[in-house]
Amino acid sequence: MIFTRLPFIGQCVILLLFLLVCGWISLFSWSVITVTPLDALHALYNMNEDSIAQHIVHDLRFPRVLIGIMVGANLAAAGVIMQGLTQNPLASPSVLGINAGAALGMATVSSLAPWFGLLGTSVAAMIGGGVAWAFVMLLGSAWRSGNEHGRLVLAGVAISALCAALTKAVIIIAEDQAAGVLTWLAGSLTDARWQTFDALWPVCLIGLVGAMLISPTLNLLQLGDDNAKNLGVSLMWVKLGGSFLVLLLVGSAISSVGAIGFVGLLVPHMARMLTGQDHRKFLPIAMILGACLVVLSDTVSRAIIYPAETPAGAILALIGAPFFIYLVRKRTL
Amino acid sequence: METRSLPILLLTLVALLIANLMFGAVSLPFKQVIEGFQVGNANYFTVHEYRFPRTILAMLVGAMMALAGALVQGVIRNPLASPDVLGVSHGAGLAAVFYMTFFPNADIDWLPTVALCGSLIAALMLWWLCGQHSSTIKLAITGVALAALYASCIDFLMLVKPLEINNALLWLTGSLWGRGWNQLAMLLPWLLLIPCALWLAKPLNLIHLGDDSAISLGVKASTLRLLSLAIAVGLTASCVAICGPIGFLGLVAPHLTRKLVGGRHQLLLPSTMLVGAILLLLADLVARTIDPPIELPAGIMTAIIGAPYFLWLLFRTK
Repeated sequence: MIFTRLPFIGQCVILLLFLLVCGWISLFSWSVITVTPLDALHALYNMNEDSIAQHIVHDLRFPRVLIGIMVGANLAAAGVIMQGLTQNPLASPSVLGINAGAALGMATVSSLAPWFGLLGTSVAAMIGGGVAWAFVMLLGSAWRSGNEHGRLVLAGVAISALCAALTKAVIIIAEDQAAGVLTWLAGSLTDARWQTFDALWPVCLIGLVGAMLISPTLNLLQLGDDNAKNLGVSLMWVKLGGSFLVLLLVGSAISSVGAIGFVGLLVPHMARMLTGQDHRKFLPIAMILGACLVVLSDTVSRAIIYPAETPAGAILALIGAPFFIYLVRKRTL
Repeated sequence: METRSLPILLLTLVALLIANLMFGAVSLPFKQVIEGFQVGNANYFTVHEYRFPRTILAMLVGAMMALAGALVQGVIRNPLASPDVLGVSHGAGLAAVFYMTFFPNADIDWLPTVALCGSLIAALMLWWLCGQHSSTIKLAITGVALAALYASCIDFLMLVKPLEINNALLWLTGSLWGRGWNQLAMLLPWLLLIPCALWLAKPLNLIHLGDDSAISLGVKASTLRLLSLAIAVGLTASCVAICGPIGFLGLVAPHLTRKLVGGRHQLLLPSTMLVGAILLLLADLVARTIDPPIELPAGIMTAIIGAPYFLWLLFRTK
């Protein structure tokens, strides 16, 4: 492939251009009220107050695209960090139970104690995800070196099943909002507005910068725990810091759009195919790819049963699950 | 020494059987329950047509799911494995949800058959992907991946057709509500699998020594593995077809039993059936009596009872 031979900057530029095109298409396509491609551009820098189409772009579509980009970047970065920390190619927020835990926290707070509001639910999502992740790491004995890959994944599955069962219990006990909560659980960008954007971007920025800072250390971890230690890496702090970053990234993404799965599993592998094993390079590529993937699947989710919408998370899961099977079959576990 | 807990388990089972017949939306004293078995009695319908088949069904399903769990854990040799990791119950769920959303007017009596077909196809799919010679842990992870695929298809179907969502959700949590003699009759042929499973107990002990030792002791490890997994699939598929996927039973019951009677399969397999039956009877009893006449799905109760215990157990054994 020509793309893999390009210099790093070139790859970044091409992917960013692709992301811009995806975002632009997402701004005007599949709208009930006709929006022309030019409307979409006008709404961004020179808005005509009388045009409904431009209002739609400015108030609904634009924040939606921005949030899609941030969520995609967050989840991809979280996947990269998790795979780096555990040295496990299957590690990702959805497989290791973080999504399920966060969903449980979120569903519990939003249906049993709705007065907490948006901040409460994001904190609940982060706490839930954190507790689930801690359980999975303890059960899968991931802190010890030389762990089996399978054990960690089985622990993740057990914890996910547990959280999913409890979430279902919460849904059934707390009234007939099943469809709403389920849509949220599948992860959808439908309700993304400017206020979600305002809440998301600071956390997102901190998380992504943190991910960039930790990426050289992740390279050292690839040499194995012992070698990393010899090279002066404090394993405990790296793992704690990395876990905290993952929680920050996943928690903020989940609390703003719901439990979108499989981005964290899919994208790091795609990025690795493009750039090789150096975390300093493939982390940014993974972020851009993740953003593209979420924006694209959001566009598809509007097209599939137009004019109604399917959650983008459901589309991603349909793409991601076969990929998961492919990974399992390819790798020797 | 290890058999000491068996009488206690049996007594608990009998007590729960009686309690399940007595309590519910209307509580009946023991004497009326006995009289209720006679045709023409005022409580005949409640006891004989409603509670009795349901209780028996709970007992059988609990026992079969627990047995399937013990077999899978024995073969995969990982305490976190359960019939769920084979993707069988998710396959059944997908088939059932597909049937419910696309044929909303179709005959509900066909639902168990459809679910059964779904779970058997899921098992074949796993078999096709893994083949005979892959390691058990790879088999488990592939099963998990397949389960994830089915789960995402289920989500997709439910979100595209939101009208049927409540029925589907209810079925997917697993419940004994409304199950009676018909369903019991459908389950009966599958009971034949239980003696087959018990017959495998001795070779399963040997496989715990590791494949090499087992082979040198005259056990065909790969055949045994295939046979046990096939039986586990059959047990799970039949139960899921009738009650929906009741979570955690297959995971928790074998653990609990191993704690009570130790790891010898000759003892473990029968006792795990007792424990499974007790757990499901308890879950169904609580689900029915916690806030009558509203019923919670028994699947949720098993998760709520089973999950904390499971976590505690895992941390104790670390």
